[in-house]
Amino acid sequence: MSNFDRREFIKATAGIGAVGLAGMAGCTGGPSDGDGTETTTEESTETTEDSEGTTTAESDVTNVGMVYATGGLGDGSFNDQAQSGIQQAAEDFNVDFNESQPDSVSQFSDYQQQYAGSTDPNYDLVSCIGFLQADSLTETAANYPEQNFQIVDSTVDEPNVGSYVFREHEGSYLVGVLAAHLTSMSFSAGAGSTQSDSTNVGFVGGRESSLIQKFEAGFKAGVKATNDDIDIQTSYVGSFNDTTAGQEAALSMYNSGSDIVFHAAGNTGTGVFQAAQDEGRFAIGVDRDQSVTKDSYANVILASMVKRVDTAVYNAVEATVNGNFQGGETTTLGLDDDGVACVYGQQLGSEIPEDVKTAVSDARQSIMDGETSVPQDPSNVN
Amino acid sequence: MSFSERAHDLLGRLVRASAFERFLISTSALLLSVFIGALIILGAGRMTDCASAAYTIAVPGKFVTTTLPGLVPGVVKSVLPGGLWPSQAVFAMGFCYDPFAVYDLLFLGALGDVLNNPLNSQFATTIAETTILMFTGVAVAVAFRADIFNIGVQGQLVVGALTTGVVLTYVAPPLAGLGVLATIVLLPLGLLLGGVAGGAYAAVPGALKAYADANEVITTIMLNFVATSIALFLVSREKYFKDPESFANQTVNLPDVALFPSWLFRARDDVSLLAFAFAVVVLVGIWYLLQHTPFGYDLRTSGLQPDAAEYGGVDADRTIVSSMTLSGALAGIGGAVYVLMVLGNFQTGVPDYGFDGITVSILAGNNPLGVGLAAFLFGVLKSGSIVVQVGSDVPPTLVGVLRGLIILFVAMPEFFRMIGQKFGSFGRPGEPVATDGGSGGGSDE
Repeated sequence: MSNFDRREFIKATAGIGAVGLAGMAGCTGGPSDGDGTETTTEESTETTEDSEGTTTAESDVTNVGMVYATGGLGDGSFNDQAQSGIQQAAEDFNVDFNESQPDSVSQFSDYQQQYAGSTDPNYDLVSCIGFLQADSLTETAANYPEQNFQIVDSTVDEPNVGSYVFREHEGSYLVGVLAAHLTSMSFSAGAGSTQSDSTNVGFVGGRESSLIQKFEAGFKAGVKATNDDIDIQTSYVGSFNDTTAGQEAALSMYNSGSDIVFHAAGNTGTGVFQAAQDEGRFAIGVDRDQSVTKDSYANVILASMVKRVDTAVYNAVEATVNGNFQGGETTTLGLDDDGVACVYGQQLGSEIPEDVKTAVSDARQSIMDGETSVPQDPSNVN
Repeated sequence: MSFSERAHDLLGRLVRASAFERFLISTSALLLSVFIGALIILGAGRMTDCASAAYTIAVPGKFVTTTLPGLVPGVVKSVLPGGLWPSQAVFAMGFCYDPFAVYDLLFLGALGDVLNNPLNSQFATTIAETTILMFTGVAVAVAFRADIFNIGVQGQLVVGALTTGVVLTYVAPPLAGLGVLATIVLLPLGLLLGGVAGGAYAAVPGALKAYADANEVITTIMLNFVATSIALFLVSREKYFKDPESFANQTVNLPDVALFPSWLFRARDDVSLLAFAFAVVVLVGIWYLLQHTPFGYDLRTSGLQPDAAEYGGVDADRTIVSSMTLSGALAGIGGAVYVLMVLGNFQTGVPDYGFDGITVSILAGNNPLGVGLAAFLFGVLKSGSIVVQVGSDVPPTLVGVLRGLIILFVAMPEFFRMIGQKFGSFGRPGEPVATDGGSGGGSDE
């Protein structure tokens, strides 16, 4: 609230200061405690204002170290989702966190050990994002038995590691059902439309791996369960960060008749959305509600297969704060606890016919009741 | 004197600089980059919001306002009676990041607590990075000396690492029971495999340059993509070499006997003094090869003056192919060391050791012995930036900027010297231009 005043204050006082530094102060925030900005005018508004933030007992702060996956922050999906989890936790609890972004697999072990071995502060939880960290964490966790770790997207069988995995195939099954229904009818909304005479959908994957294949398998199973006659085109572009390749792959799918393309390809998916706009067709996003995170494409994004990495991080931090973090356990987040979900697009969601939505929620119920089992491997989809 | 004349004169002085002068230039460049980096840290520290200042600039500082009166109250009073002593800073400004702390973490953090425990894990990381960069650095240097720009070191490293990782998964397990004996067989075999594969992979662009006049910069760059993609193809499919147990694209873990023994360091630190010693031996060996053997003489002269070398009886085409092969073999051995020391298997997403190797080589003036020091500087920066990320609030991107600044500043004088050497004629005044490439002979230092 009085943040604004402080900025004005800095602007006003900076002029007295050294020439070189004055320029910096004009455009900026900088530290908000009194130390830095006291001048001869002896204004003290900002010292009182901030004391509440710093005087809380340091001892019960929960310290969390975040080791992100190699894609780094700013990917608009996986790592950012994890970050929003820790940010939410920091808002709700007395949590301090430190983030780091390794740029190669061989650095994971070093980062994990840095946090685990740190004494100032002593980290209560080290959160490792991404399945590539599993191997090094297996070794690190055994060497630091007193340290609690969390791993997202993989399981590490150590008593001090809490593993969080998702049933991505279940959420992908739902968007498969959605796509299958819409491609079978004449549907138009926003900037796209489907043709009733063509029943064809596509899947664009990032780098081929067992994890991404779970998305593919679920999607295919959902489509085939709805209508066995629908053709599915699949392409792996080999990268999570190549929008051009994503656009080319999706364009060729749209050109050969696909109405809807689902991507599980991180930032490559941006190209899929671009292609959907160019061709006047639809796309389905992944990891987050991409009609929000990529809102310029909201008029072609039917839905997103949301994977709540943030929930996994938040839950682990919450458990740590409450002192009941359970190491050695694997938490599987599926449809029932909204760990994965089919979230309709902000703009197009309201235009999707009610009977299609009903079919999707029926499928969801059927999976949760155990009546439908979704394969995890595309080769098991008939 | 016009600007271009002055620039020419400056470049000439740089080319003729002695080894000691070059060392001084590099050191002052390092200090300058630290100073500029500190200003950037301060600037960035004003552009973020934080609760309390990590660093404060005050005039007069804390020493005058608080420390001095506290130490000798009487003296202060008697010098300036009547409350004239400044009890508060006249001007003060806080910053979110402390540049001294950042550089302390970056340089000293990489060494860890090296005086009390020379085997600490952060120092281990530094040594591991240094070891691999020594191989890629010297690989680039060898090609440079023959006037070939081998940008493909990364690809050759990947091919070497892949070959070692894949072949040893079949050879090593049956021998695993033999203990030390197995290590004695498997380690040299792994390194040999890496060297042969990397060398063969580099011989292709070498032959293309020698016999088809293809520009090696383009061919080696493109072969990098080929190497990475082939590696991804082979280790992402279970019917080829993928570890079926793992989500990651990697080969099956090699048994411990096939890997470099960790000796003094702990096994989890992924470093080996044996590998480091091997790297040092290789650097000295390559230096000897270049300076004191007929092959090295051929290589150097065709690098300095190809026409003169050919006139003197050097088979230019053969020299191009063999120096590329040697360069690739060194890169491939680097890849094998990466597999056998750091990872314990082959995994896609190999760090950019090959591209860092180019900078390491330029930093070292393409001198194999200098590569050791340059690689160590790189190792410190790489390992130190991990410490900075964990130990401070400075964002990783800013650490990348600082790292880049240091490298840019330290490498540029050498870079200009090399350009000057290649394109300018800067003989010492009054000294005839020698037929072996003029003053370029100075690069033998």
